[in-house]
Amino acid sequence: MRHLVFLLPALLLLLALPDTRGRYNDDFDDGEDIAEFDDNDFAEFEDVGEDPAVDVEKEPPPRAAPSSTPIEDDEDEATVENEDGQDEFEDGDAQEQDMYSKYDNEEFEGYEKSNPSFKDTLIYREVPAHLQNSWESYYMEILMVTGLLAYIMNYIIGKNKNSRLAQAWFNSHRELLESNFALVGDDGTSKEATSTGKLNQENEHIYNLWCSGRVCCEGMLIQLKFLKRQDLLNVLARMMRPVCDQVQVKVTLNDDDMDTFVFAVGSRKAMARLQKEMQDLSEFCGDKPKSGAKYGLPESLSILSEMGEVTDGVMDSKMVHYLTGHADKIESIHFSDQFSGPKVMQEEGQPLKLPETKKTLLFTFNVPGMGNTSPKDMDSLLPLMNLVIYSIDKVKKLRLNREGKQKADRNRARVEENFLKQTHNQRQEAAQTRREEKKRAEKERIMNEEDPERQRRLEEAAQRRDQKKLEKKQMKMKQIKVKAIHTHTHTHTHIRS
Amino acid sequence: MTLNNMADPRRPNKIFRYKPPNTETNPTLEDPTPDYMNLLGMIFSMCGLMLKLKWCAWIAVYCSFISFANSRSSEDTKQMMSSFMLSISAVVMSYLQNPQPMSPPW
Repeated sequence: MRHLVFLLPALLLLLALPDTRGRYNDDFDDGEDIAEFDDNDFAEFEDVGEDPAVDVEKEPPPRAAPSSTPIEDDEDEATVENEDGQDEFEDGDAQEQDMYSKYDNEEFEGYEKSNPSFKDTLIYREVPAHLQNSWESYYMEILMVTGLLAYIMNYIIGKNKNSRLAQAWFNSHRELLESNFALVGDDGTSKEATSTGKLNQENEHIYNLWCSGRVCCEGMLIQLKFLKRQDLLNVLARMMRPVCDQVQVKVTLNDDDMDTFVFAVGSRKAMARLQKEMQDLSEFCGDKPKSGAKYGLPESLSILSEMGEVTDGVMDSKMVHYLTGHADKIESIHFSDQFSGPKVMQEEGQPLKLPETKKTLLFTFNVPGMGNTSPKDMDSLLPLMNLVIYSIDKVKKLRLNREGKQKADRNRARVEENFLKQTHNQRQEAAQTRREEKKRAEKERIMNEEDPERQRRLEEAAQRRDQKKLEKKQMKMKQIKVKAIHTHTHTHTHIRS
Repeated sequence: MTLNNMADPRRPNKIFRYKPPNTETNPTLEDPTPDYMNLLGMIFSMCGLMLKLKWCAWIAVYCSFISFANSRSSEDTKQMMSSFMLSISAVVMSYLQNPQPMSPPW
């Protein structure tokens, strides 16, 4: 009986053990491991530390045999090496020190050997920017958008400033213009010729005003050429090179409103430039710009004139008074009966025609302020408009005397002759090419004719035409010869008698 | 000035209508900036679309803005709008295809 009593629990135990082992196999193993960890908190690191060390030890041997031997040797003298290693690490990364300072140095046998190899294998890669999920990585885009916003802001501000300047100019000049012209403000589109009474905006920086209906002139076009304040690029460029706003007045005259002369006065730079650029000034005013000191003008102004008489006529006391008083605002004043604008670059092979001319007075004024203008500065331009009106009346009255008129006529004839001579060759060439083309076209037609009969007929017709032309030419030559002989004998008889 | 007070210089019967200056005969008077910028903008936006370059597309947007700022009032707004839309579409397409931010050239 006692044996049985002992046997039963033993049997039960025997039966239970495999079950427990079976059910808690993994746990038991883990429990074993956990038990081990309880004893030593850092045993897991020990394993981890050793395993990579083991792996690493395995790696270098295939790579390089000599490097493995020092590792194995050092393992035996671990403590000594570790101390050296410790010194190394003290100088090394603070981060590493922070991480490993809590650990016992004895834990890490062969650590320093594994560390350099750690450095070889551990590379910290940057997270790609678009996965970072932060706005900071898009800083270039933000820069671009800010730039665009700055541009838009500048556009609005610049546009408004130009508009205010134009309005200020018009407000200060409106009275003068309305008292002088029947039509103030016209854009050419309306049916009836009624004053619009406002400026015509061509651009964000150019405003036009057309006035008409006055004695002594056909009409007057005023252009307010402001700086491109609405374009940021232009604003930045102007910081390098300051430029002025300009007011340009162009008065077109009827044929009887002006005598025949060409004259210009203005700043030295402007005169030098205009003499090269303008068609009429380069042809009629050949001499260099002269100083106006003789008439009492300041040194900053110079004169281009067709003849001295014209200068004397234009430079009366009132004009001199105007010019000296506002010399800083005057860029150029140009009176011309042969005005055709700036020189146009001619293309090769094109038959030239004399450019159309119109009697014109052209005034260019600089707005004071050199770009930093305020609406108040527009009032200072009012006396200049008075100058314009005065000039219109004066030019009507200015007449050259007989000598001057003859000189002027001779000048114009000379210029026309020069022009014809220059273009003569070109015109001849053009006529020649035209004739050749005609012949070629005809020949082609003859060749293309399939019917031989028609071909023969067309050829004969072409031959006849050529013959006729030759005959005509011969007749002309004979006539010229006869005429020449006739006049020759005539003059001879005259002289003799 | 006294002359003007004595007689009114205005002559309503001598009115001439305004004729806009013919810019075909004088091409030098015209400012070529808006046309150049328009063309540049289109070229850059095509480059940006085809070659998937983000900076090309951004420059195209800038070009179309500059062209708009310098344009004449008589110019067709359709042209402006089309170049503007093209540049915006170039930017959007570049980012849809490649959402990575633009890297600076330095």
